[in-house]
Amino acid sequence: MSDTAESPTESPPKEEPPKEEPAPPAEESATSEDKKKIDVLLKAVGDTPIMKTKKWAVERGRTVQSLSQFISRFLKLDATEQLFIYVNQSFAPSPDQDVGILFDCFGSDGKLVLHYCKSQAWG
Amino acid sequence: MTQESTEGEAVMDLCVQEETFHHCCQLLLQQSEQLRDGWSWESVQGSQVGYLKKTALRSVDFNSSSVWDQVGSSSDSGSHTVCRQQQQEKSALVASYDSDSIKEDIADDDGVCAVSKDSREVLQYEYHILYSCSYSTPVLYFRAFTLEGRSLSLEEVWSSVHPNFGIRLQNSPLNTITQQEHPLLGQPFFMIHPCKTEEFMRPVLQLARDQHRPVNYVLTWLSVVGPLVGLDVPLMYFTLLLPSPSLLSNTKPN
Repeated sequence: MSDTAESPTESPPKEEPPKEEPAPPAEESATSEDKKKIDVLLKAVGDTPIMKTKKWAVERGRTVQSLSQFISRFLKLDATEQLFIYVNQSFAPSPDQDVGILFDCFGSDGKLVLHYCKSQAWG
Repeated sequence: MTQESTEGEAVMDLCVQEETFHHCCQLLLQQSEQLRDGWSWESVQGSQVGYLKKTALRSVDFNSSSVWDQVGSSSDSGSHTVCRQQQQEKSALVASYDSDSIKEDIADDDGVCAVSKDSREVLQYEYHILYSCSYSTPVLYFRAFTLEGRSLSLEEVWSSVHPNFGIRLQNSPLNTITQQEHPLLGQPFFMIHPCKTEEFMRPVLQLARDQHRPVNYVLTWLSVVGPLVGLDVPLMYFTLLLPSPSLLSNTKPN
């Protein structure tokens, strides 16, 4: 599975974290299954900014919360803004849910489509 | 209450009529029974008015050491160091990622911060889903107890909000989680204020309508608010085929 940029004119090289990067701290619970990657397609809803790169290879074991934090940082949301993520155009997944499981249940055409929307944060 | 969609074509209800609320609750209940998810319908004697109820145990990691001091001395508050806030800040600093890939070190649970096991506590939660006539939306009421039967304080509840929903919520949640008298039982409960419901329901109702996908308003609403307070909705609710193809929310194209 590779990262794919949206632009049709580019053929980006397959992007993976560089091998010389220090290995992340080993988690006892992380299995090799968790490390496998699935393709996620991110779609903006409403007037939420659209991500330049929409398609990502994400480790199965990554949580929705982790992905949400990543998108929020990528979009440079501030502390007053909250990101909502929706699956299957019908519900919000739990922040603790593994994206791999979501892919298994709701993936189609080899990818998991997630819609995201920014709004005013609770609080 | 109806709102124009951004295209200005069809009118979409972001709220739910009480009758539809009841219908959605009954469907949720049917699925809950199939899934053994523990919801029950409680009605007020001699009336149609009622609510969905569920009790569950929840393992909570309190986020603030100041709250921990209130809870008691049985735990080692000295070793309960890093709250989620620091954890997130550390992740942000480490994540000097290249723009087109998710790096392994962007993780909120990398084990960078050691949270003492003592800071976790198992609590008993009771969740009620009621209908709010003033907002025309469902409302989540809940109460929480330690296993010894001590009721949580409001500060403890605020500190146990899922960190996904921001430091801001944990620090100044006055507009979100408050103590309220239960409208039907008259007992003190905590409540997630319904004022943001339209805002987070709007995108998903729009998406569902565009895809002609039937949505159970109450179930979808619950999938958003539940996780704030430890109530996750099992995925099976959304993978099972709905029992009837009729519209379950008020989304009606003109």
